[in-house]
Amino acid sequence: MPNNHQYEAVIGLEIHIHLNSPTKLFCDCPNQPGEHPNQYVCPTCLWLPGAFPHLSWAAVEKAVMACLALNCEIQPRSVFDQKVYYYPDLPKGYQLSQFHKPLARNGWLEIIGEDGRPKRLRIHEIHMEEDVAKLVHDTEGSKPISLVDFNRAGAPLIEIVTEPDMRGPHDAMEFLRALRTQIRYVDAAECSLERGTMRADANISIRPAGSEELNTKVEVKNMNSIRHVGDAIAYEIQRQIAQVQAGEAVRLHTRLWNPEQGITTPMRAKFSGPCVPDPTVPPIVIEEEQLAVFRARLPEMPAAKRRRFMESFSLPEEEAQWMTAERDVAGYFEAVAQQCPNPRAAAHWIYEQLLPALKERRMALTDNPVDPSRLAALLTLVEQGEINATAAKEVFDHMFVSPESPSEIVEQRGLRQMTDTSELELLVARLLEAHPDAVGNIRKGKAQAIGFLVGQAMRASQGKADPKRVREIIAARVQGE
Amino acid sequence: MPDPIFAYRDASPAAGEGPLSNVAVLIQPNLAVRGWECGAGSVALEKYVPLEDATAVAKLKAAGAILPGSVRMAELGLGTDGDRMADALKQGLGQAAVMTDLMGEARCAAVASRCYGFKPSYGLISRFGLNGLIPSMECLGVAARSLDTITTIMAVLAGPDERDPSMRREAALDFSQVNQIPEKPLTAGVIRESLQGLSPDEAKHFEQALARLGTMNVRVTAINFPDYELFRVVHQAVGSVEASSHAGKYDGVRYGHRTANAENWNEMYLRSRAESFGLLIKSFLFQGAYFQFQNYSAFEHACRIRGRLLRQTLDLFERVDILLAPLGFRALDSSGDSCLEKLYDHFEPALPANVVGFPALAVPGEIWDPDMNRGLQLIGPPLADVRLLAAACQLVNAASGKGTHDAE
Repeated sequence: MPNNHQYEAVIGLEIHIHLNSPTKLFCDCPNQPGEHPNQYVCPTCLWLPGAFPHLSWAAVEKAVMACLALNCEIQPRSVFDQKVYYYPDLPKGYQLSQFHKPLARNGWLEIIGEDGRPKRLRIHEIHMEEDVAKLVHDTEGSKPISLVDFNRAGAPLIEIVTEPDMRGPHDAMEFLRALRTQIRYVDAAECSLERGTMRADANISIRPAGSEELNTKVEVKNMNSIRHVGDAIAYEIQRQIAQVQAGEAVRLHTRLWNPEQGITTPMRAKFSGPCVPDPTVPPIVIEEEQLAVFRARLPEMPAAKRRRFMESFSLPEEEAQWMTAERDVAGYFEAVAQQCPNPRAAAHWIYEQLLPALKERRMALTDNPVDPSRLAALLTLVEQGEINATAAKEVFDHMFVSPESPSEIVEQRGLRQMTDTSELELLVARLLEAHPDAVGNIRKGKAQAIGFLVGQAMRASQGKADPKRVREIIAARVQGE
Repeated sequence: MPDPIFAYRDASPAAGEGPLSNVAVLIQPNLAVRGWECGAGSVALEKYVPLEDATAVAKLKAAGAILPGSVRMAELGLGTDGDRMADALKQGLGQAAVMTDLMGEARCAAVASRCYGFKPSYGLISRFGLNGLIPSMECLGVAARSLDTITTIMAVLAGPDERDPSMRREAALDFSQVNQIPEKPLTAGVIRESLQGLSPDEAKHFEQALARLGTMNVRVTAINFPDYELFRVVHQAVGSVEASSHAGKYDGVRYGHRTANAENWNEMYLRSRAESFGLLIKSFLFQGAYFQFQNYSAFEHACRIRGRLLRQTLDLFERVDILLAPLGFRALDSSGDSCLEKLYDHFEPALPANVVGFPALAVPGEIWDPDMNRGLQLIGPPLADVRLLAAACQLVNAASGKGTHDAE
C-alpha cells in the first residue's frame, strides 16, 4: 500500500466573489450590508408578485472586468438559469445563476509553485449569480424562530470554478492571493474571506502520485481566511489518505472546516434541484466592439507592473512583488520613487514602516497625512545624510500629527545628524577610554564589540551621531594604535 | 355575502380625461392596483395588497379609464374555473376587459360574451405588476364589444417600459394607423390539422364562415402543418416548467398564505403550499416539477421544438396575410375544469399564438352567421398587430355591410 508520499492531492476551487457594484444584480437597491435588517429591499429583491428582474449593466461590467483580469474568454452570449430549491433564504424558490451558458470560460492565473517555479493554474469558467438572503436564528420566549434579512438578497456575485490543477495547500493559497490581487486591480471586488466578500470551497481528492485518474472528491466549506483554506486542505488530504489506507472508500460529500479544532466534519447534504433557463432576464450579449472597450479599461496588471518596477526602479523581484500586490500601494510607491533618489529605500519604508503604521492607526493609504511627496522628502533627508534612521523614524511618527515638512520637523526637534568629524572623534575617544574591555574584544576580532560601542555613541549623542561615521572612526582608532 | 362577479370592487372609481374617458375597463386580481386586494384567484395570495400600480393600470388611469374593480378569475389565470369575466362583460359591468391570456383565456372569454378578444404580440404590453404564471407565453389581452375600443386601449397600453425588461424593443407600434391602412384583397390560410378535432356540425359551421369570407375579397387557402399537434405538447411541457418555477415564490415566508400548523420550516413549506393551491394548479405544477426533476431532456426537446414551430409558423406568412382558426368550439363542462387534458382540449385552437408569441384576434361568430355562437381567430405575424386589426376591420365591415366596427 502506498505511504503518504506516494499519494498526490487533486484540488479544484469554487470561489464566490461579491462584486462591488453600486446596486444589486436585478434591482436598484444599494449593494450594501445595511445598518439594520431589511433596510435595502424592494419588490424585486423580495420577489413580490408582478416584479421583474432588471439586470444591472454596472454589475455585468464589474463581472466582465473581473473575468478579463483572470485571463478568461468572455462569451458573446450568456444566459441566466433558475437553480431550483426551496429554502427560506431564497424568496422565489430559485436562484438566478448562469448554469448552461456562463459569462466566461478558459481563464488562468500564474503562481510560484512550491518548487519555486512559475505554475499556471487554469480556470474552467466564471458565471454570474445573485446572492441569497441571510437567516438569523433566534428565540421568541422559549420557541426557536428564524428571521430573514434580505439586505444581501440579490447582491451580485461571480462564481469562479477552477480546473483541478492544484496539488496542495500552497497552490490553493497562492491561487487565492493572486486572484485577490488581480480582481482588486480592476476594482471589481474586495475579495476578503474574513469579511465574507469572498468564499472559497475546495474540492479535494487523492490518487497515487503520478497517476492521471480523478477519484471521488470531497467538498470542504467554511474557511474564513486564506490560511484556513491551506489548513483545511492539508487536514482533508491526510484524512483521505488515512481513510484509503484503512481500506475504506472515499464517499462524495461535503464537509465543514472547524477552525477551533482544526478538523473537517461532514455536513448534511443540501438538496440540489435542476437548472432551467429563465424566461424573464434577457441574455447578456457582448459584441466584439464592446469587448474592446472593456479591454481598453484594463489597468496595467500586476505582472507587467512588477517587470516595469524591476527595470525602472531596480527593485529585486521580491520587493517589486511587495510594491505591486495592491494597486494603490503600487501607485503610492511610484509617486514616491519618482521624487526620491533611492527607490529601493522607498519600497522598504513603505513595506516596513508606512503600511504597518497605517494598519495600526486604521488609516487608508489614499487619505493618510504622509502623502507621497512628504515621504519622498523624508527619504531624501536620509539619503543626503541629514538625519539618521533613528531620527527618520521619529520624524515619520511626527508626520502623522503635524502638517509641517520633514525638514521643519528635523529643525524643530533638533534631529539633524552629528556629522562634524572633530566632534565625533572626541565622542569616540571618550568611549574607548570608558570601555577598555570592548576595545580588547575588538582587537581579538569580536565584531559585535564594535556594534556595542556604536550603540553607546548613539546613546551619548541622543541618537544624532552618524552611526556609519562612528563605526569608521572606531575601526581606524583601534586598528591605528 | 361575497360578490359573485367582483373579487374587489372599487366603491367610487375615479373618472378622468383622456382617450379612455368614460370607458369602464374591468381587470383581474392578478394585476396590481395600489391598495386593492390582489389574490390572483388563489389562497396562495390571500390578502395580498400591492404597493404600487402595474404599468398597464397606471396607463389606463392616465388615459382616463374608469376601473370599476377586479373580476373573479381562475386560479393564477390558468383556465376558466372560477373566471367570471365573460359574465361581467355580458352584464355590461364594463365596456372592456384587460386580462391575462396564457393559453387563450382572454380570447375565449371575449367570444363567450360576444366580444372581440385581442392577444397582442409577445412583449408589446408591459407586464410589470402582472402576477403571471408562464412568463414566456402569457400577455395581457383586451376584450371589448368594438374593435375601435380594442384599438384605443392597445394604443394606450402598448409601448416600452423599462420596468419590464422582457419586452420587445420595437414595442412602440402606432395603433392610430389601424383605420388608415387601405383595404386590399387578403389571402387567409387555414391549417388543416387545426380542424381535426371539430365535430361534423362544427366543421360545417366553420366551412360556412369560410365560404362567407370568400365573398368578401378573401382568398382562403388550405395549409398542411404536420407538426401542428406539437403546439399543445410544447405549451404543456414548457408552460408547466415555467409555472412550477414561477409559483415557487408562494412559500408563505414573506407574504401570502402560511399554514397555521408547522413545527419547522420544511413543514411550513409543505403545508402552506398544499393549502394554497387548487387541484388544477397542483396538477400543472407537478407536471412542471416532473420535467424539471425527472425528465429534463424532454423539456429541452420541447424548447427546441418550440424554436422549430416558431420558424415554421413564420414561414406560413410568406404565403398568406393571416391565418384563420376556430375558437371556443368545444364546450368545457365543469368536470373538465380541474383536468389538465380537458383544459388543453378546450384551448387547443388558441395555444399556437401563445407558444410562438404572435398576435391573435378572436372575432365573435355571429359576425358571420347570426346563429353561430362561436368565434373565429385571425392570427398575424409578430408585431404586425396594427395590420391584423386593420384586416379585421376590413372583414367586419364587409360582413356587416356597414362602416362601423360594432359587433352588434
